[in-house]
Amino acid sequence: MKYKSQKIAEYFYTFAVLLFLVQVVVGIIAALQFIWPDFFPLKFNIIRDLHINALVVWLLMGLMGATYFVVPEEAQSELWSLPLAYFQFWATVVTVTLVVLGYIWMGFNPHANKFVFGTLLLNEGREYIEAPRWADILIVVSVLLFLLNNFMTMYKSKRWTGIQGTLLGGLTFLALMYLPGMFYTKSMVKDQFWWWWVVHLWVEGAWEVIAGALLAFMLLKVTNAPRHVLERWMYIEVALVLFTGILGTGHHYYWIGTPKYWLWIGGIFSSLEPVPLLVMVWDAFRTTRVHRVVTNRLGLFYAVAHAVFNFVGAGLWGVIHTVPMANKWTHGTQITTAHGHLAFYGAYVLLVISMIYITLPLIRERTDFRTSRGYTSFWVMTISMIFIVLSLTGAGMVQTYMERLVGLDYVTVKANYNLVFWIVRAISGVGFLVGVLIFVVDYFKLGHEPAEVGAKSNVSVTTHAA
Amino acid sequence: MSNRGVRNLFIFGSLFFFVIFIGLTVDTMKKLDKRAPEITEEVDQGKKLWHKYDCIGCHTILGNGSYFAPDLTKITVNKPEGYLEKFLVNPRKVKPSAAMPVLGISPEEAKKIIAFLKWISKVDTNGWPPKPVLATYRMPRSPGVTVFQKYGCTACHMINGVGGTSGPDLTHVASRKPDRQWHIKHIRDPQSVVPDSAMPGFPQMSEQELNQLVDYLLTLK
Ligand code: HEM
Ligand code: HEM
Ligand SMILES: [Fe+2]
Repeated sequence: MKYKSQKIAEYFYTFAVLLFLVQVVVGIIAALQFIWPDFFPLKFNIIRDLHINALVVWLLMGLMGATYFVVPEEAQSELWSLPLAYFQFWATVVTVTLVVLGYIWMGFNPHANKFVFGTLLLNEGREYIEAPRWADILIVVSVLLFLLNNFMTMYKSKRWTGIQGTLLGGLTFLALMYLPGMFYTKSMVKDQFWWWWVVHLWVEGAWEVIAGALLAFMLLKVTNAPRHVLERWMYIEVALVLFTGILGTGHHYYWIGTPKYWLWIGGIFSSLEPVPLLVMVWDAFRTTRVHRVVTNRLGLFYAVAHAVFNFVGAGLWGVIHTVPMANKWTHGTQITTAHGHLAFYGAYVLLVISMIYITLPLIRERTDFRTSRGYTSFWVMTISMIFIVLSLTGAGMVQTYMERLVGLDYVTVKANYNLVFWIVRAISGVGFLVGVLIFVVDYFKLGHEPAEVGAKSNVSVTTHAA
Repeated sequence: MSNRGVRNLFIFGSLFFFVIFIGLTVDTMKKLDKRAPEITEEVDQGKKLWHKYDCIGCHTILGNGSYFAPDLTKITVNKPEGYLEKFLVNPRKVKPSAAMPVLGISPEEAKKIIAFLKWISKVDTNGWPPKPVLATYRMPRSPGVTVFQKYGCTACHMINGVGGTSGPDLTHVASRKPDRQWHIKHIRDPQSVVPDSAMPGFPQMSEQELNQLVDYLLTLK
């Protein structure tokens, strides 16, 4: 660690890792509720709200932590204000805790979710952005403080690099795209229209831009690839992300009451969205092959896996149902869930974990650390996730066929034909939890125990030409 | 191209696409109100209740939301209003196998939620959800079957694996209820024989239709 203030990243990582654990535990509860709806005191909606909110929040915390590391590194200076960063961290933890307690309270007493000054007190009842308005405002303040701190660091040091510029650009876009979800509309059609600005322009816009910048940063840190080449490809990737992703929002405007021209716009642009993701895969492999000096093999392994599964989960599992002819039948089925899981896992879970494995050893000042648990948790999580996604894809195909094509009742299909898939999903979920537990243990132990020696060393310098 | 060149391409290209997107958004906003009925006070209150009870935490609407429970876009077209009112207040009282919990929705609130759902069902969704194209199963042809379909009984009742699950399965109904008079009374006014039934009555059915329908039901042994 070159700058003392980079230590703040670890606070964010720790909170992120703990929330990841919570997310997956409640995910298993949700999966079991598909089989036994009544087995848990909190009903499915509350469990699901916790599952997806924990997901979004821990990924954001991870990305913030990563940014607090990257910006001083790139600007070559301490953070503008470390106390402000600590304040922002604790304020966010308190807000998130209050929101979670609110959901649980509402779970036991739905009437506690009252209208106060025209907005709901505990839960807004809109997927992903369930957090009530007062929490939205606190979150916006927190994110503004975060952006301010990083921009000031960059501004004061006068060292502007492409990586940090793109990273902060993506983060600013992210902050702005939270705002369209913060007002009430009487029309459910408009409600969903603006809601997709938040959800889609986050995961297929702002977050992918951040992923592009962080991928360049990671490759820069762990290989000896030259910066100008990495930054050039980064610009190409993030440019293609936004050129396709902004109008690609149209793939959510086919059937919600919006005009027909969105079928064309959404169909064409969203079909092109996998292209930048494929460029990222190519970029990661090319850099690894050409530049043989690797200072953190585990970190590089995760970064490459992130690029690959970003392409598979978001790109491939996205494109199969993105054209209107297919989406007409699969819209709102388990196909969507299958895609949601693999996309979030590949694109963002692996991104945050790879940033952790690349920056945490530097923070703890142990570049040659014990890596075997890191590899094990990767394989356990990834194989379990593949089983989760295959079972959901199976369930989605059966559901699309039985319910949408043959016309059977939703409940019949869910309770009978798809039962076997729910069982496989729940079992794979437990497998996934095992992987997460290994990762969490590794997170806390990393750098505090001796590294393996010899061939297993995490640092490798291969001299032969590529 | 230099790095500066690609950077500018990224920034200005993205702004270009965002401006187009905003233009399309403005155009869409102008068109939306014509594609949906007017929003009355009751519909708006229903929408607020929809948020309050976090219905989206289990259901989809317009295909977006959670996939734990059925999509509700066309629910008011497929299920009778009286049934829905009772169901919302206490799901298991009208459908013992229901997975939905009692949320504490009052009968007045249920009416508002239904008004909201009726509004949703009339939104022009470019033909979504599509009609099932492979609905190949044919019921035996008889006048009674025609009546059964005409009055939408399949929305709630299943026969030989086809149909809804809101009401009881009728595949073997004649074994349970062999009495012709019982059926006639029940269809005209369900509450007269099953006091808190959630099934709507069919006083509008002609005498002939009623007889044909009961003939058919009595074959289901
Ligand atoms: C990392 C990037 C991505 C993530 C995290 C992601 C995640 C998701 C999630 C969670 C949903 C479900 C939203 C809901 O709950 O209603 C969704 C829907 C969808 N995504 Fe993605 N996605 C990504 C990229 C893509 C890409 C690149 C494509 C197209 C090529 C795509 C196509 C779709 C489509 C068509 C739907 C709507 C499904 C439906 O109609 O039900 N996604 N995505
Ligand atoms: C033990 C592992 C997991 C289990 C058992 C699990 C289970 C579930 C269940 C039951 C739902 C509700 C689906 C529905 O409404 O039909 C859900 C939703 C969701 N989960 Fe997970 N989950 C797990 C891990 C994850 C992970 C690791 C991620 C992120 C990478 C994730 C992201 C999501 C998202 C985005 C949704 C909401 C959108 C959707 O249904 O597509 N889950 N999960
Ligand atoms: Fe999307």
